[in-house]
Amino acid sequence: MDEQNGNGKSAASGPGEALISMKNIWKTYQMGTEELHALRDVSFEVRRNEYLAIIGPSGSGKSTLMNLIGCLDSPTKGEYWINGNLVSDMSDDELARIRNKEIGFVFQTFNLLARATALHNVELPLIYAGMRAAERHDQALASLTAVELGDRVTHRPNELSGGQRQRVAIARALVNNPSILLADEPTGALDSKTSIEIMHLFEKLHSDGNTIILVTHEPEIAERAHRVITIRDGRIEKDERIK
Amino acid sequence: MKIATNQFYENLKMAFDTLRSNKLRSFLTIIGVVVGVITVMLISSIISGIGLAVEKQVKAFGTRSIFIYKQEIGIRFGRPSREERMRPDLTLDDALALRELSEVETSVPFLNVSSGFFGNRTIVSAGGKQTQNIQLSGTLPEIEKTETQVLIEGRWFTQSESDAKSDVCLIGDTVKDTFFPYKSAIGETIEINGREFRIIGQLQKKEQLVGGGGGNNDESNTIFLPFHAALRIKPNADDIFVLAIAKPGRLNEARDQIEDLLRVRREVKFGQKNNFSTATADSIIDQFKSITAGVALAMVVISSIGLMIGGIGVMNIMLVSVTERTREIGIRKAVGAKRSDILLQFLIEAGTLTGFGGLVGLGIGWILTLLISIVFPSYVPWWAPVGGFFASVGIGLIFGIWPAWKAARLDPIESLRYE
Ligand SMILES: Nc1ncnc2c1ncn2[C@@H]1O[C@H](COP(=O)(O)OP(=O)(O)OP(=O)(O)O)[C@@H](O)[C@H]1O
Ligand SMILES: [Mg+2]
Repeated sequence: MDEQNGNGKSAASGPGEALISMKNIWKTYQMGTEELHALRDVSFEVRRNEYLAIIGPSGSGKSTLMNLIGCLDSPTKGEYWINGNLVSDMSDDELARIRNKEIGFVFQTFNLLARATALHNVELPLIYAGMRAAERHDQALASLTAVELGDRVTHRPNELSGGQRQRVAIARALVNNPSILLADEPTGALDSKTSIEIMHLFEKLHSDGNTIILVTHEPEIAERAHRVITIRDGRIEKDERIK
Repeated sequence: MKIATNQFYENLKMAFDTLRSNKLRSFLTIIGVVVGVITVMLISSIISGIGLAVEKQVKAFGTRSIFIYKQEIGIRFGRPSREERMRPDLTLDDALALRELSEVETSVPFLNVSSGFFGNRTIVSAGGKQTQNIQLSGTLPEIEKTETQVLIEGRWFTQSESDAKSDVCLIGDTVKDTFFPYKSAIGETIEINGREFRIIGQLQKKEQLVGGGGGNNDESNTIFLPFHAALRIKPNADDIFVLAIAKPGRLNEARDQIEDLLRVRREVKFGQKNNFSTATADSIIDQFKSITAGVALAMVVISSIGLMIGGIGVMNIMLVSVTERTREIGIRKAVGAKRSDILLQFLIEAGTLTGFGGLVGLGIGWILTLLISIVFPSYVPWWAPVGGFFASVGIGLIFGIWPAWKAARLDPIESLRYE
C-alpha cells in the first residue's frame, strides 16, 4: 500500500496515515438535460480509529458520500483512496473483499434480505467470508444477542418492527468485527434508550481501535463523536474536531 | 476447498428456498426437462426390452437353427400379403429332402394341427379339464437331435413309435400346469379331439419373447405328437414349418444350400424372389437392430427437444428471477459477495431447478417403465437415469450461464436502489 504514496497530489496530513482520503470528489447525476450535483468537490481525510459524525439537512448528500466510502458507488470525478489504495484501480474482487472484511455498513433503508430470517441476514457476510456453518451460526447469534434480538432469530424482516429491523442491520454490520463501521442514521428508528445501547456497541468497537463514521441528525448522537463534518448542498460546510 | 464446498452447500440451500417459494413457476419451467427425461427412461427401457427379446429369441432359436416357412418370418407389422398367403405349403418331403444336404445335420417338420378343418380349435382334455388353446404340433423323432427343446422328464418318441403312428405325446410346461399341476404327468393320458394319447415326456419351460403364460404366443403351451399321429387328428393338415440344423460353424452355407434346394423343389423361376423365407438367429438380430436404431433415434430427437424446451424455459425464468431479485443481489454484493459468488449462486439455482426436473422425470419414468416391464420384459439400463440426470443438470448450467452472468455483473449501488 505504500507504493501509492508518491501518487498522492495534495495529501494534507500525510497520505500514509490516512485510512480514508477523498480528493475533490464529485458525484453528478444526469437528470434528463439537467445535471444534479449530489457531491461537489468534497475533500477530507479520516485517520484510523477516528470517530466521525456527518450531519446535514435532508438531501444534502450524506448517503451518497457514505456509499462512496463503502466502496458501493464510484465518484463522477475525483480520487478516493482507502488504506493507501486508489479505489478506482481496484478489481471487483478486491472491492468485494473490502466490503466483506473491512467495512460494516448499516444502511439507512436497512437493506435486509426479505425472505431470509434475522439470523441468516446476519450470517450473510460470514458466508461470503467462507466461514464454516457452526462457527458462523455462533458468531451471528452473538451479534444478534448484542443488539438484544437473541429471541427473534427466526423472524423474517416483515415479522419484525422497524426498530428491530434496524437492529438486525446493525448486528449484520458488526458481525465481522469491521475495521470501518459506516452507519447511515443507525438510530433513526430507535427509542432513546435503545439508541444509547447501540451507541455503546459502536463505542466499544471504537475503543478496540476501529474507525466509526456515522450519519445522524440527532445532536446528542453527533455530540458523542470526536469530529463532526457538516454537509450542505453537496459541499463540506464545516469540519470540526470536538474532542 | 472447504470454503468452496461450504459455499456450494449454502448456494444449494438458497436454490431450494427459491424453488419452494416459486412452486408453480418452477414446475412450469421443468416440464420440458421432465418430459425429456421420461422419454429417455421409457425408450431406453424399450430398447433394453428389445435387447432382452433378441437374446431370448437367439437362445430359443439356437445358434445353428434355420427356420423355414412359406411366409415371411420375424416381426411383422400388419397382415401377410395375399401373395404370401397363396404360397404353396412346405411338405414333409421338403423337410426330409433337406437332410440330404451336406451342410445340414438334420431337419424336422412341425405340422400345426391346433385347429380343425373348419377353423375350429382342437379340443384337448384330461382329468376333467378341457381347453382349446393348446398348440398341437406333429414332428419327427429327430427333434431330439435339434436340441431346441429340453426334456426334463420322460423321453422322446422313438422311430418305431413314429412309424406306427403311436398315440403318444410330449407336453410343454404350461400344458402340465393346466392339467397336472401337482403331480407328474408321465404315463397319464390326454384326450385330443376324442383320441387318447399317452404322455411320455415333459419339456422345460421355453424362454418367452412376448407375454407370460397361456396366450397363443406361449411356446410352452405346446403338445408334440408323432407326425403321422398328428395327421390322424387333422387329415388335411398342411400348415408346416421346418427347422433345419446346420453343421457346426456352417450356418450360412447350410442356409444357402437350403434356399437353393427349396427354390428347385418349389419351382421358383430364375430371377424371382423366394416364395418362402428362412430365418436364423442372426437374421432376427439384424431385424431387431434396425428397429432399435430407429427407436434410439426417436429417443434422441424427442428428449433433445424436451431438454431444449426445458433449457429455454430455464433461461427465461432465470432472467425474470435475476430482474426480480436485483435488490437481493445488491444486498449480497454490499456485504461482500464477489461476482463469482453471484454467478455460482444463479448457476447452481438453474442446475438445481433442472436437476430437480430430472429427478421428477426419473421418478415418473421409473413408474412407467415398471408398468411397461409387466407387459414387456424390459429393464432400465444404468446409463438412462444417470445420463438423464446429468443432462438435466447440464441443461440448467448451460442455459443458466447468461442469466447468472447478467446477475453477477450488476452494479451494487444501482441494484440496491432498484425497486
Ligand atoms: N440515483 C440518483 N439519481 C438522481 N439523484 C439522486 C440519486 N441518488 C441521490 N440523488 C440526489 O442526490 C441528493 C443527495 O441524496 P442523498 O441520499 O445523499 O441525501 P441525504 O443527505 O442522505 O438525505 P437524507 O438525510 O434525507 O437521507 C438528493 O438531492 C437526491 O435527490
Ligand atoms: Mg440519506
